[in-house]
Amino acid sequence: MAETLQTIAGSIAWPIAIAMAWIAGEAGSRWLSLPRVSGYGIAGFFMAAAQGGFLADFSGGPVALLADFAFALILFELGYRINLRWLRINPWLGVTSAAEAVGVFAAVFMLARAFAVPLVPSLLLAALAMSTSPAAVLRVANELKSSGQVTERLLHLSALNCVWAVVVFKAIIGYGVLANAGSVFQATWNSLVVVAVSAGIGTLFGVAVPGLLRSIGGVDRNATVAFAVGVLLLTALTHAFKFSPLLAALAFGLVARHRRVILSQAQRNFGALGDLLTVLLFVFVGASVEWKQAVAGIELALAVMGVRLAVKMAATTLFARLGGITWRKGALTGLAMTPMSVFVILLLEQTRYLQLGALDQVAGIAAMVLLLEVIGPLATQRALIWAGETHHAESR
Amino acid sequence: MTVALEPFKASHPLTMGVELELQLVNPTDFDLSASASDMLHLLERRKFPGDVKPEMTESMIEISTDPHARHADLLAQLLHIRDTLVAAGDRLNVALCGGGTHPFQRWFDQRIFAKPRFRKLSDLYGYLAKQFTVFGQHVHIGCASADEGLYLLHALNRYLPHFIALSASSPFFQGVDTLFDSARLNSVFAFPLSGRAPFLLKWSDFEHDYFTKMEKTGVVKSMKDFYWDIRPKPEYGTIELRVCDTPLTVERAAALAAYLQALCRMLLERNEAPPSEDDYLVYNYNRFQACRFGLDGTLIHPKTNKSLSLREDILATLRGLEPHAAALGSQAAFNELHQAVASEGSHASFLRRQYAEEGGVQGMVDAAVRAFRREGAI
Repeated sequence: MAETLQTIAGSIAWPIAIAMAWIAGEAGSRWLSLPRVSGYGIAGFFMAAAQGGFLADFSGGPVALLADFAFALILFELGYRINLRWLRINPWLGVTSAAEAVGVFAAVFMLARAFAVPLVPSLLLAALAMSTSPAAVLRVANELKSSGQVTERLLHLSALNCVWAVVVFKAIIGYGVLANAGSVFQATWNSLVVVAVSAGIGTLFGVAVPGLLRSIGGVDRNATVAFAVGVLLLTALTHAFKFSPLLAALAFGLVARHRRVILSQAQRNFGALGDLLTVLLFVFVGASVEWKQAVAGIELALAVMGVRLAVKMAATTLFARLGGITWRKGALTGLAMTPMSVFVILLLEQTRYLQLGALDQVAGIAAMVLLLEVIGPLATQRALIWAGETHHAESR
Repeated sequence: MTVALEPFKASHPLTMGVELELQLVNPTDFDLSASASDMLHLLERRKFPGDVKPEMTESMIEISTDPHARHADLLAQLLHIRDTLVAAGDRLNVALCGGGTHPFQRWFDQRIFAKPRFRKLSDLYGYLAKQFTVFGQHVHIGCASADEGLYLLHALNRYLPHFIALSASSPFFQGVDTLFDSARLNSVFAFPLSGRAPFLLKWSDFEHDYFTKMEKTGVVKSMKDFYWDIRPKPEYGTIELRVCDTPLTVERAAALAAYLQALCRMLLERNEAPPSEDDYLVYNYNRFQACRFGLDGTLIHPKTNKSLSLREDILATLRGLEPHAAALGSQAAFNELHQAVASEGSHASFLRRQYAEEGGVQGMVDAAVRAFRREGAI
């Protein structure tokens, strides 16, 4: 009897958590003008078992896979919005991206060493800090219906720095495994091959899915479901073979856009499906953080956040005029790139099987994730409003 | 109370200037992109080959040329403007295109440009203001005197449908095929002060019998408040033809201006029967025919009440104007128009073909973007 109850309780825990998080998101949006995703994350944090909540340990389970799927949908959409031709015509975007990514990596690495963090965790922390969470920026941009240069640059720079982050992160993992007396084969496998194969599978999908759609016909039909099914399959595949679903989904979107076999596009956010999965994703991320860990790493976290923001804003401001926008819009682009938590958690979650225990080892990560869960989307929201790229500005 | 109607400034007769309202489009999903401020910022840095201004909504930009006497000079400036805009757009990931409407934008998504006049209009007209996210070409023709301007304005009434049909490039609106070749004009007609100008041929009559009275009613404050098909522009010393959709190419825009210039030259010879109030009995009917059916429309001649095929009427007019085109150096423009009317069809039919072939409204905008850059065949 008790066992049955436990099973029932276990099976309804996540639906209840999603319902509560959704209410928290709506409430935060209504009364505090918080981006909805911030509300989801905070709710997830408080409902986690580590904080005395009812969400038990879920890593590696089906919920983690669903979270990966949710994130992959977002990365697909981000990839679809990237215009490679623009990067070629306006080289200052690439320069800005390189400057902010390399700058953040170097600055955070030095900072972590100054806090006496060991070498490999310092490198991992620096790699993770490069990234901007595509989930947060895309959701906030879509929620505000923003359009303009800050929005466009934010999305392009986020996509780029995520790629840099994954590549460097995997390379460091490879190095870490090697340093911990693993085989050379495993180290190589974990960096270069994973990156290349993931991107390759994504590319394959990017060619095949639009081609399939075209041959089925009815090109004016909304392609949302077809792309979503593609992303689901892609996530499951890459997960099963331990490749990177993140890179694969990004490549899928990017290729699907540039092949332009068909022009009908998926709905923003993948419609209601995307909305629902986003709640799950942010609850998952919020619930991954333990209060104790967060408190332990708070000083380092605050220092890293400050340095990261400063470097990103400096890079985007420095190259703003050369890239064709005002200093102000440049600075706001850097500010808008604050979010990072979702990306980090999923990347760490994927490397769990390597037994690095990264979330515990990389000091400060937990606190950063928690803080940026709230502050990150808020910074993006404010930056887009201040840039006058939202409808929001009209009523002020 | 100040007199809001400026004196009519004489200008070089038969000079022409063009204004084009252009669409700013996101190259990812081909929806309108609220990028006017960003574009204007970038364009301000260098000398612009003409004039560029914001329009009502953030996804629209308006360019204008200097006055020109010859088609070739007008076209050269328009091409220069086009290239400057396209280069700026490329740096900002913004695509530009012509077309009288954006085929699938939702008007409630449009952001009003942050300028007091636009905000005021937006408050006054409500959804009409955003629905007014349509894109037109205006052509100015210089007039030696105000009375000459009013004469031309009314003498042109019978030719107005030509310009609607020749420029028509707005078959789709809010995601559906409207069956109109120029759906844009339906939006314009929604405004209370749209349509024809009152039949007055003397500037002094216009000023005292019409404008001053209207001003007293408080309905209007300046000429800007009239959205007439053709209106006098006293501060420039021109009449302004406002019924054209923005064509997909600047070449077509220049050709339309040259056609109007040649027509005015012919009308000023005063060999045609002078305009009369009764000409306007068939005016709205003819205008509807041109909007709805484009070149396939049927006109009623205001003097003879005979039915005419719009296509035939344009071809006949083009032939009749040949000596004027030769005198003005506009043969290239006439060739372009002749080809469109006789064989290629209007830009509206080009867009409908794209819809069928490319699959959907996005393919249509993609084709319009390529046509504007002159990358795709049209």
